Amino acid sequence: MRRLAAVLALILVSAPLLIAPSTSVLGLGAAALILCALGILVATPVLVGGIVLALGEYALALRLAGGAPRLGGAVLLGVVLALLLETAEFGRRAHHAAIGPGVFLAQIRSWAVHGALTGAGALVASALASGIGASLRLPWAPAVAAAGGAVALVAVALALAAARPPSSD
Amino acid sequence: MTTRLTPLALSVVTVGAWGLVLGVLSGRAELVVAVLPLLLGLLRIGRGGSSRDWTLTRAISAARVFEGERVTVTVTVSAGRRAPLLELFEPLSPALRLVGGHNRGLFSLTRGQRVEWRYEVECVRRGRVSLGTVHARLWDRAGLQAGETSIPVPWQLRVYPRPLPLRRLPGPRRMQAFVGNYVAPRVGEGLEPGDIRAFVPGDRVRHVNWRASLRFRRLFVTQYHQERNADVVLMLDTLTEAGAPPDTTLDVSIRAAAALATAYLARKDRVGLIEYCGPFRWVRPSSGRAQHERIFEALLRADVMFSWVTQEVGLVPRRILPPQALVIAISPLLDPRFEKALVDLAARGFDLTVLSPSPIPLVGRAIRASASADVACRLWALERRTRADALHRLGITIVDWDPAEPLEAALGGLTRSRRRDVAR
Repeated sequence: MRRLAAVLALILVSAPLLIAPSTSVLGLGAAALILCALGILVATPVLVGGIVLALGEYALALRLAGGAPRLGGAVLLGVVLALLLETAEFGRRAHHAAIGPGVFLAQIRSWAVHGALTGAGALVASALASGIGASLRLPWAPAVAAAGGAVALVAVALALAAARPPSSD
Repeated sequence: MTTRLTPLALSVVTVGAWGLVLGVLSGRAELVVAVLPLLLGLLRIGRGGSSRDWTLTRAISAARVFEGERVTVTVTVSAGRRAPLLELFEPLSPALRLVGGHNRGLFSLTRGQRVEWRYEVECVRRGRVSLGTVHARLWDRAGLQAGETSIPVPWQLRVYPRPLPLRRLPGPRRMQAFVGNYVAPRVGEGLEPGDIRAFVPGDRVRHVNWRASLRFRRLFVTQYHQERNADVVLMLDTLTEAGAPPDTTLDVSIRAAAALATAYLARKDRVGLIEYCGPFRWVRPSSGRAQHERIFEALLRADVMFSWVTQEVGLVPRRILPPQALVIAISPLLDPRFEKALVDLAARGFDLTVLSPSPIPLVGRAIRASASADVACRLWALERRTRADALHRLGITIVDWDPAEPLEAALGGLTRSRRRDVAR
């Protein structure tokens, strides 16, 4: 599982290089890859640091490349990002543990289903957002986007707090 | 079962927030879209079942083993309902070392499924080892939420001290009245010819010494040495210990006591055990396999126990410490209270021998090697020698035993010196 996570990390940091192959993107990508590799081996917070750098690298590549939004690539990158976090975490759990029959297979099947569903969901959401954006020309669009982002984060935080179930048994 | 969100959920939120912030700052929608799958994944929280509906049973290949032996632990998990990902962890006691498999397992169980999980441990230190609680964690498939619980599956493993191989033993100076393996000075029934005397009515014809009778033209009979057993009392010093487990002075002393008890009992001697930990704890001298069990049970629970109480040797009843007994004291001679007890025993005329496992190599192994440690060890060795000489002047025989060496080699010199003493 750690190998799979390493491959996903490599895809995550090399994708921005395909968008804008420059030295600065490469440097940021190398740093992100090192942190991701360390994170896969050591602890999730280090991996999160690597992913944060990789997202910065992606933003820099998009900024340097300019042009029309590449939403399909972004969805794929998002699926890779989600799977990277989950596989790394699972790899750490499975390290030095006896693995029961069918655990890996069931997990891979679950990730495949999850990747397909969330990818499709993200595509639908982005298509809806593009449609709404094209039909409604709002003034102060960046401010609205920022407010939307903040609202989304607060909503996620509230949802997580609500989802924390009490002790049972 | 206590259910909680895992740190992975926090990581997902962190990355999601960072993506949204970057998207707003850079004005690129791709960054927002890239974190959408992550945030959509959070919708799975709370969907997995978090109730405990599985049972655990444990089986151990042997419940009574000796140090150094291996035991296979088999844990069987039976699921009442589907468990997406069940993590089980069984913490091991310091007396056990994992040698095969893992003491943590991950299982995916369908309804009614039964899974066996095996691992092998080596028992490194004697004692009653408790394999008690299994910690279980039920994860959802994404790893965003986990329910935790502890399941008591009590099982006790008895790890007995490993007896060291012994062939020669210090012989006792005085015998007892029961039949045994020692050739006693007294003549009577036996196998070893001792003396010849004139025939008297009542003597058995098969004892007639025909060669002597033909030579002297009178009937003579051969007398034989009696074969008797002895009482051996092992006195174990549990006042203090030095070194690091599983090779402290107490551990090696107990292995030596186990070896001596096994060897003397095999010779049909009556063996007793006195544990001196301030107050006394004892096993009355007896012989046979039951006594072997009793002594090993006592050695199993022998441990250093601090006590302000210091009892005198005179308080030990005669049935526990018979006057004719060979007393083998096993002590690293670290506590002056035990030395006082030894002097007391010698003064009371007991046939006393001290086997002293040296703490210096054991402590040397446990600490980092340095010049100062080397000097300290040498000074300690000098001090030990001075104390041993002082005891020797009081007529107490002391055998200094380096636990890295075989016990038999240490006892070899003692056996020879005792044989000379007996001959004198």
